[in-house]
Amino acid sequence: MAEAIIKKKSKKHDTTRTRLSPLTVILLVVLSIYVLSMFVLLFWALITSFKSQQEFRINIIGLPEKFVWNYSFVFSKFVYPISTESGTVNVGMPMMFLNSFLYAIGCAFAATITPCITAYLCAKFDYKFSKFMVVLVIVVMALPIVGNLPSEIMVAKAVGLFDHIWGLWLMRANFLGMYFLVFLNAFKAIPKDFTEAAKIDGAGNFTILFRIMLPLVRNTFFVVMLIHFIGFWNDYQVPLIYLPSHPTVALGVFNMATTKENGLSTIPMRMTGSMLMLIPILIIFIIFQKKLVGNLSVGGVKG
Amino acid sequence: MQFVVKKRKKMTVAKKRDLLFYIALMAFPVIQFVVFYIVVNINSITLAFKEYDIAAGKTLFVGFENFKQAFNMITQDSDLVAATGTTFAAFALTFFIGTPLAILFSYYIYKKLPAHKFFRVMLFLPSIISAVVMVTIFQFFVEGAVPEIVNKLFGKEIVGLIENPNTRFATIIFYNIWISFGVSCLMYSDAMNGIPPDMIEAARMDGATGLKEFWHITLPMVYPTIITFTVVSVAGIFVNQLNLYSFFGNASAVKTWGYWLYTQTQQATSEADYPILSAMGLLFTVITVPLTLIVKKLLEKFGPKQD
Repeated sequence: MAEAIIKKKSKKHDTTRTRLSPLTVILLVVLSIYVLSMFVLLFWALITSFKSQQEFRINIIGLPEKFVWNYSFVFSKFVYPISTESGTVNVGMPMMFLNSFLYAIGCAFAATITPCITAYLCAKFDYKFSKFMVVLVIVVMALPIVGNLPSEIMVAKAVGLFDHIWGLWLMRANFLGMYFLVFLNAFKAIPKDFTEAAKIDGAGNFTILFRIMLPLVRNTFFVVMLIHFIGFWNDYQVPLIYLPSHPTVALGVFNMATTKENGLSTIPMRMTGSMLMLIPILIIFIIFQKKLVGNLSVGGVKG
Repeated sequence: MQFVVKKRKKMTVAKKRDLLFYIALMAFPVIQFVVFYIVVNINSITLAFKEYDIAAGKTLFVGFENFKQAFNMITQDSDLVAATGTTFAAFALTFFIGTPLAILFSYYIYKKLPAHKFFRVMLFLPSIISAVVMVTIFQFFVEGAVPEIVNKLFGKEIVGLIENPNTRFATIIFYNIWISFGVSCLMYSDAMNGIPPDMIEAARMDGATGLKEFWHITLPMVYPTIITFTVVSVAGIFVNQLNLYSFFGNASAVKTWGYWLYTQTQQATSEADYPILSAMGLLFTVITVPLTLIVKKLLEKFGPKQD
């Protein structure tokens, strides 16, 4: 934040066009309140996660008088019951983290590499089929289909992808959506000279794709994959339906909030679970915040 | 693909290699699309016309029976009649409150007013935090902490804002606007960044400043983006769950269509429950497709013109 302020001050001279008016002051105040409300909530959750249930009953909003380390307790004790052929099996938190990781990283990669390669083919190969694919993506994007989830479940079961993490990787490996268009524009912007020289040197199509083209779009690739990763990590509704025997952390935390059966259903414990799930994402956000925020237009308005 | 092959009967070796490469890499995406888009949707449509005979273990073609039943449920079942109202009320409230707010505040970021970089980062935060986590925190905050704060400040005993049926809907709407505000703000400010600077310079020469500039330049220039976002949210009107599942699981008293369809599918005990859900989905699709097109056309026709 300090950095932002310093930069702002040095910039002030060249942005003479905007001055502080009553309106902008109001905007500033409201924006600050908004950000503050976000912080208050997260901070409240954090301090609550350090309270014991006894203390929370009498001290709901204050700082904890006695810090309690709920984290190791939740991490080791929280389980998600799944039913298998040999009866109910409890899946622990470490396994949920592993499932989340496999689910999120695989789906993110599949959902990024597929539009990337397809867009490359459409951008650089002048077949009629390429044009057809571009039109197809635009049409599908404009076509809102409601309520095909039951049918999707049936198809996933029929082709044997149901209840497998790798099954969801395959299901998410589609080229549809705006990221196809993002990659298409990225590849179209690469001049032909880049590949001509390599072709003269006898480079094959695979070499050109993997050695020249993909490295050129690696930044876009990385940001799209990161956005996907965060989305899949946070998602619990798809695992709830498609992965009955591989619960993810998001599903675990959701289950923690809705079942009253286990002793972990107290509010401090639930806050602890939420924080556990939040930490990896916050770390990613802090590390890659510049890349993510700077490239947000990828996700919105280019289309 | 055949037409491509026919056209190039006398292909050079290099061209043949290109085509082979193209087909090899295109095969997977195309097959994936056929299975998980074409087959899924065709199956969904045919499902709407079928019925499962569990005893006999086979499916029967029942014509429009499911649609009749779906239509009766939509118009008569009190829960579902309420769901229609909630769906549209929620859309209207979140859209007509959320969009102007986002545009107004995105102007602040776009104009690079004090601490805009800090706000850019902070506004991004809600979109990376899982709905489960955010809802859990928010829920306990308004149920536990808010009554406690009110009690300490005003000495009044109040019920949690979600527990209280009078404030429940408003609180959920508030949550949805609050959580989506940040990212919409950033998207509109990114759209504003696309406005050519010389256009603003020219307007300045003509004496346009502050609000005038916002009204006559910024707003018309981001209007296409407003149309896009509006169309996207109209298209999602029957899918929007309003985060209700994250709040209440299967037990929400307030229901939207998106929520209802998801919970019904998730709770379905056998495939016999699917046809009626598919029929409903198809009904909503048939409503949504022309609705989005009409909204798009109307917005394009009656919006501010760029000059």
